[in-house]
Amino acid sequence: MKREKLRWLSLFFSPIFIFYPLMEAAVGSKINIEEMEKRKEIIKFLASFLPPEVEGWKPFGEDTLYDPETIFTYIDGAGEVYRAYNFKWLLVRHYQKRNNPTIIVDFFDMGRSEEAFGIFTHDLEGERIPIGQDALYKGGWLAFWKDRFYVSIYSEQETEETKKGIIALGEKIAQAIPKEGKRPSILEYLPADWDKNKVHYFHLLPILNYHFFVTSENWLELDETTEAVLAWKIKENDKKMYLLIISYDDETKAARAINRFLKNYLPEANEAGTARIEDGFWDGAKVHKNVGIIVFGAESSFEVESIIEQVLIKLEN
Amino acid sequence: MGKNWFSRRDFLRLALLSPLALTSFPLETQLKSSGPRSRVVLIRHEKVVDEKRRVNSEVFQAMLDEALTALFDAKNSQEAWQKIIKPNDIVGIKSNVWGYLPTGKEVEEALKQRVMECGVPESRIGIDDRGVLRNKIFLQATALINVRPARTHHWSGMGGCIKNMITFAPDPSVYHPDTCADLALLWNNPLIKGKVRLNILLMLTPLFHGIGPHHFSEKYVWPYRGILVGQDPVAVDSIGVLILQAKRKEFFGEDRPLQPPAHHILYAETRHHLGVADPSRIELIKLGWLDGCLI
Repeated sequence: MKREKLRWLSLFFSPIFIFYPLMEAAVGSKINIEEMEKRKEIIKFLASFLPPEVEGWKPFGEDTLYDPETIFTYIDGAGEVYRAYNFKWLLVRHYQKRNNPTIIVDFFDMGRSEEAFGIFTHDLEGERIPIGQDALYKGGWLAFWKDRFYVSIYSEQETEETKKGIIALGEKIAQAIPKEGKRPSILEYLPADWDKNKVHYFHLLPILNYHFFVTSENWLELDETTEAVLAWKIKENDKKMYLLIISYDDETKAARAINRFLKNYLPEANEAGTARIEDGFWDGAKVHKNVGIIVFGAESSFEVESIIEQVLIKLEN
Repeated sequence: MGKNWFSRRDFLRLALLSPLALTSFPLETQLKSSGPRSRVVLIRHEKVVDEKRRVNSEVFQAMLDEALTALFDAKNSQEAWQKIIKPNDIVGIKSNVWGYLPTGKEVEEALKQRVMECGVPESRIGIDDRGVLRNKIFLQATALINVRPARTHHWSGMGGCIKNMITFAPDPSVYHPDTCADLALLWNNPLIKGKVRLNILLMLTPLFHGIGPHHFSEKYVWPYRGILVGQDPVAVDSIGVLILQAKRKEFFGEDRPLQPPAHHILYAETRHHLGVADPSRIELIKLGWLDGCLI
């Protein structure tokens, strides 16, 4: 028994036990150093798109880098919107000019141009202006996308001077991004008479419900693997009609999702998958291969079927 | 047992029954005339904030006193305060420091003053927001006063009294799923549960719409010059939503539901039984200046 105890004691005091925590600390600090170096490189790369000075507006303070874990320390729960589009990095820089409110540049690396387009479509309020691949300006806030980058330029107070500064910064940053990126291919499924500037591109149910509340339950099985586009048009009676197209990663999932949607949301649907609902308009849904197509707010069953048919033709081409 | 989900069609069905339904809350709860009830006081004063959004401390103090007196059917504000704060309490005033629209010193000091007048020494009163989990007063508090400005929120629809307790959560993102649907669960935290004696939703200069990552623009705050006071955080937030919705309708010229819908307020009643979300079961007492009251 005593011998056994001694054996354990000797093991406890063996070099492995003494040096292991030190080795672990050394490896840990190496990882931290590598991580810090990596972040420095990313800051350097993203900052290379931001101008050192524009019309008297100069950077002040240090540039700050956020990732999907740390973004909440910057914009609290609103960070979820950017996470819903799989953003990779956010670089924040402040610009100042004497006797003017601060301008904040939020420069997002979204990883893919489709995601940059998607987050741009999240908030489509404002006046369209020709910066990047598409831009909107409203009340002291400019947003644009180009390639895989989404850029927000903002001042808490809008003045003539801040507006000029915001636009000039936007133009410079857009020029610094050398190439353009592609839009999501799912947009090609929209019928010709649906405006591709009036769409929201997304993956998740909370984003669908943000723009157009459908249901609190995820019957449509929207997740990171799905691509969806919600388009709308305003009809003669000033009512909005919506077209939702969802691309799934497999046909089984698409069929299951659309069937669940029909069963729960439109239980009275006819064979064509359409029904007249409480507001007097017609909703309907259909699945084709791995794509689900849903129409909300049509004048008639015929209109629902006609829109779905137009999408099916696009899908087949 | 009713269903625990709702769809656009529930909204539409309800809209047929009540024209106000789309701007307030759906589901069966709204159709019940019986059930628990809550009282909320709305008080407004033309001079409580100036054109630069600065708070007039004296006017605010007077509004607060009048609101509490009405809320507790008391003879005066002293009696009302003594109903909720005892001299041996340790009191945390849960504020909000969001840079664009903070609770503000004038409001915090007015509350602290009244708590001290209840016999609580200054050393046992704390004011904090993001540091509550490191603040000894908040860790030992026997009473909490919850105070913050009302605003729309990019992910939860509305930042109100229910959400103000988020800084008690070591990892706030746990409450983010389904656009913060279950924020009311926060109130089960032992540091909070049963301790909140008063909820004050500042409607002095609320934010009724937001743009961009920072969700703030001077264009979308307006001097409503009011405060909502109640013991039920759900009822206070529910009335707050009605005012924000009414302002959005007035400003945009059409019904613009909050984006996303502030369904955490609804679920605070239907799922978590924290209070009353249904406006038809909230006794709203309106005091003071009524111009542009909106509800």
